[in-house]
Amino acid sequence: MEKPIMSSGPHIHSHASSRRIMLDVIIALLPAAIAGVVLFGLPALWLIVTCVAAAVISEYLFNLIAKRKQSVGDLSAVVTGLLLALNLSTAVPLWQAALGSVFAIVLVKCAFGGIGHNIANPAIAARVFLLLSFGSLTAGFPAPRGVDAFSGATPLALLAEGNTGELPSLLQMFLGQRGGAIGETCILALLIGFAYLLIRKVISWQTPVIFMGTVFVLSLVFGGFTVAVYELLAGGLVLGAVFMATDYSTTPITARARMLFALGCGLITFVIRWFFTLPEGVSYSILCMNLMVPWLERWTRRKPLGGV
Amino acid sequence: MFKKSISSLKLPHLKGTAGLAPVRIPQPKEVLLPVSPMNSHSAVNAEPVVEVGQHVTVGQLIAKEKDRGSSNIHASVSGTVKAIEPYVAGGRKAIAIRIESDGKMEKCPDLKIPHPTNLDEFLACIRDSGAVGLGGAAYPVWAKLSAAQKSHISTVLINGAECEPYITCDHRVMLEHGDLIQKGIELMKQFMGSEEYIIGIEKNKPDAIEALTERFKDDPAVKILPLSSVYPQGAKQVLLYNATGKVVEKGQRMASLGVVIINVYSLVKMAEYFVTGMPMVERILTVEGSAVKEPKNLIAPIGVTVRELVEACGGLKEEPGKILFGGAMMGKTQESLDNVILKATNAVVIMNRKDTEKTAASPCIHCGRCVSVCPLGLNPTAFSRAMELPEGEEELRAAILQREQVKVCMECGCCSYVCPAHRPLAETNTAAIGWIRNWEKAHKEGGR
Repeated sequence: MEKPIMSSGPHIHSHASSRRIMLDVIIALLPAAIAGVVLFGLPALWLIVTCVAAAVISEYLFNLIAKRKQSVGDLSAVVTGLLLALNLSTAVPLWQAALGSVFAIVLVKCAFGGIGHNIANPAIAARVFLLLSFGSLTAGFPAPRGVDAFSGATPLALLAEGNTGELPSLLQMFLGQRGGAIGETCILALLIGFAYLLIRKVISWQTPVIFMGTVFVLSLVFGGFTVAVYELLAGGLVLGAVFMATDYSTTPITARARMLFALGCGLITFVIRWFFTLPEGVSYSILCMNLMVPWLERWTRRKPLGGV
Repeated sequence: MFKKSISSLKLPHLKGTAGLAPVRIPQPKEVLLPVSPMNSHSAVNAEPVVEVGQHVTVGQLIAKEKDRGSSNIHASVSGTVKAIEPYVAGGRKAIAIRIESDGKMEKCPDLKIPHPTNLDEFLACIRDSGAVGLGGAAYPVWAKLSAAQKSHISTVLINGAECEPYITCDHRVMLEHGDLIQKGIELMKQFMGSEEYIIGIEKNKPDAIEALTERFKDDPAVKILPLSSVYPQGAKQVLLYNATGKVVEKGQRMASLGVVIINVYSLVKMAEYFVTGMPMVERILTVEGSAVKEPKNLIAPIGVTVRELVEACGGLKEEPGKILFGGAMMGKTQESLDNVILKATNAVVIMNRKDTEKTAASPCIHCGRCVSVCPLGLNPTAFSRAMELPEGEEELRAAILQREQVKVCMECGCCSYVCPAHRPLAETNTAAIGWIRNWEKAHKEGGR
C-alpha cells in the first residue's frame, strides 16, 4: 500500500483555474469579435486572426528562447491578441497589427515576467505604440459596410469638431454602425460580454460602471444629456471599461483600490476628450492608471481584523 | 454607516452523516494515549503517573498535566499498562501510554461526582477532569474559563457553527445532549455569573436550531443565533464579530471584552463530568470521506486507532489517499491507519487517491480572489511575494510581513481554496508566520 499523503490544508479546492478564467474572457469577447466581422467584413476577421496568431506564436517563441516554462496553454496570449485586434481598425495593415502583438507580448508582458507580472496592459500599450509609430488609428476609420454617410470621421471626432449634424443616431451607435475600431463600436455585443463576465464572476461590476459613470456624469455636467450619451457610446469607452480596466495583472488587487482606479480612468478619459486635442482618451487613461496601481493599493489599505 | 461584513466562502457541506446518530464501536483490544495535545499550539507532555505493568481502570488518572499546555489524561479502558513509549503523529512527537484492555471496562472506584461551591473549586474540578477545547485547539477548558477570576465575563458564546465540511459531530451533540448543554449553562450561571449565553449554529442544521430554541424558550439568558452556513463561521474572530459585533484587537484578550467562546461539545463534556464524575475518556466523532465504505458518527474511547474506527464503518472501499484529523479545510494529515484519536479529534476523514490529486501551481495572475475572500482582510499574495524574495533580502521580507501583518492570519485556508493558479497560499502563510516569529526573536535579542 502506498503511504497516505502528508500535506497542509486545505484539502479541497474550488473549480477555478487561470485557464478557465482566460477562456471566459475569450468567450465574453466573442460577441464583439463577431459583431466586428459582421460590421466591417472579412478584413476584420483577418485582423483578428493575425493578432491572435502573432501573440500566441511570439509568446511560444519567447518562452522557447528564454528557456521559460511554456505558458501559451493558459490562453492569456489569445486574450491579448484578440483584445488588440478589437482595438484596431481595418485601416491598419496586417503587418503592423502583427508587430503590435509581438510588442504587446514580448516587451510589455514577457519581459516583465509573464502573466500576472506586467505593469501595463499589453493590448493598450500596443495600441498606443502603433498609434505613435504609424498613426495607423487616426488615419481614418473605415465605416461599417452599408453605412456611407460618415466614413472617415468617428463620432468623437465629429463631437470634437462640434459637427453634431453628421452624428449617427443613438440606435446606430448602440448597434455599432459607425466608424471605429472593429471591437469597440457594437455596444450591444460588449454588454453581452459584460453580462457574461459578471455571471461567471470573472470581474465585478464596480470598475466598468464607475469608469463609464464618471465619464457620463462629467460629460452631462459639461455638455448636456445628448453629448453625455454619445460620449458614453462613442470611442473605446465600453470596450476599455469592461475588458481592459478590469485586467487582473495591471489593476489593483483590492476592491477599494479598483474603484479608485476606475474613477481615475473616468476622470482622465474625460479630461483628454474634453480639453485636449486628442479625440480619444480611454487608452491613455488606463495606461496612466496602470502606473498608479501600487499607490492606489497603499492609499486604500485598511486595518485587518485583529490587526493594526 | 453600513456594518462591515466578514468575507467568507460557500463550501460544499459534505455532511452526509448529519442524520446518523452516533454508535459505539466494539471494545478495543488496546489503546494508546498520547499525553500531549500534539498540535501547533502545544507539544507539552503531561507527566505519566502510572508504571508499566500497573493495572488501571476507566477514568483513572494516568498522566498529570504540568500547565496550560497540557491536560490530565485518564485511562479510557481498564487493563494493564503495556508501555510508555515515544509516539509520532501528524509530524509531531509525544510520549504515549499503551494500555492493553482486559475487556471489562471496569470503572475507576475513586471517581466521585464533584460538588464545587465557588468559582475556584469549579475551575479546579474542570482542571481535574482534563477537559479541553474540542473545537480543535485542545486548550484546557479550566484555563479558558479562569478569565472569569480576573474580570467579569458577561457573555458566553457557545460555538455550534461547525463550519468545516464533513464534520457532523457537534450537530449530533446538539440534537442528543440538549440536557447537558442546559446543565453546562446552569453551572456557568452559578459560578461565573455570566448574564448572556449565545449559541451560534449554522443554518444548515435547522433541526438543532429548532431543538435548542424549544429547550431554552423559557430562559431569557439563552439566545439561539442562526448563522449563515459559510466557512469559516466557527473561527474565533469571525464568530465573535458575527454574534456580537466585537473584535479582539491586537494585544487584547477576548476576556477583556467580557466574552468567552466555548465549543458546544466542550461545554457538554464539561457538564457531563459534573453529572457522572467520569473524566473525558471517550467522544463522539465523524468518520467520513470518499475512501470509507459506510461513513458514520461513532462513540469511541480516546486512544483507539483509525483502523478500528474504519472497521466500525465497514472498512475502506479504496486505498486511502489522505487521512485527516479534522475537516477538509484545516484537517491535519496523518501518516497511517495506526494513528490514534486524541481528545480534540472531531472527525477522521479518509479521502481516496482521486480526491487528493493536485493541480500544479502556476504563476499568480493577480486576480485578487485571495484578498477578497480573506475573512480578516489580509493580502496573501504579499506574503508569497515576500517569501519568494532571494537571500540577502531578509530585511525587506520582514518589513513586508510586518506591514501586511501576517501574524494575524488564522490559517483557515480560504485563500488556497479559491486560488485559480492553485498556489499553496495557506501553506506559505504558515511558513511566513514561523519565519517572522524567528526573525523578530533574533532581532529582539540582537539589539534593542
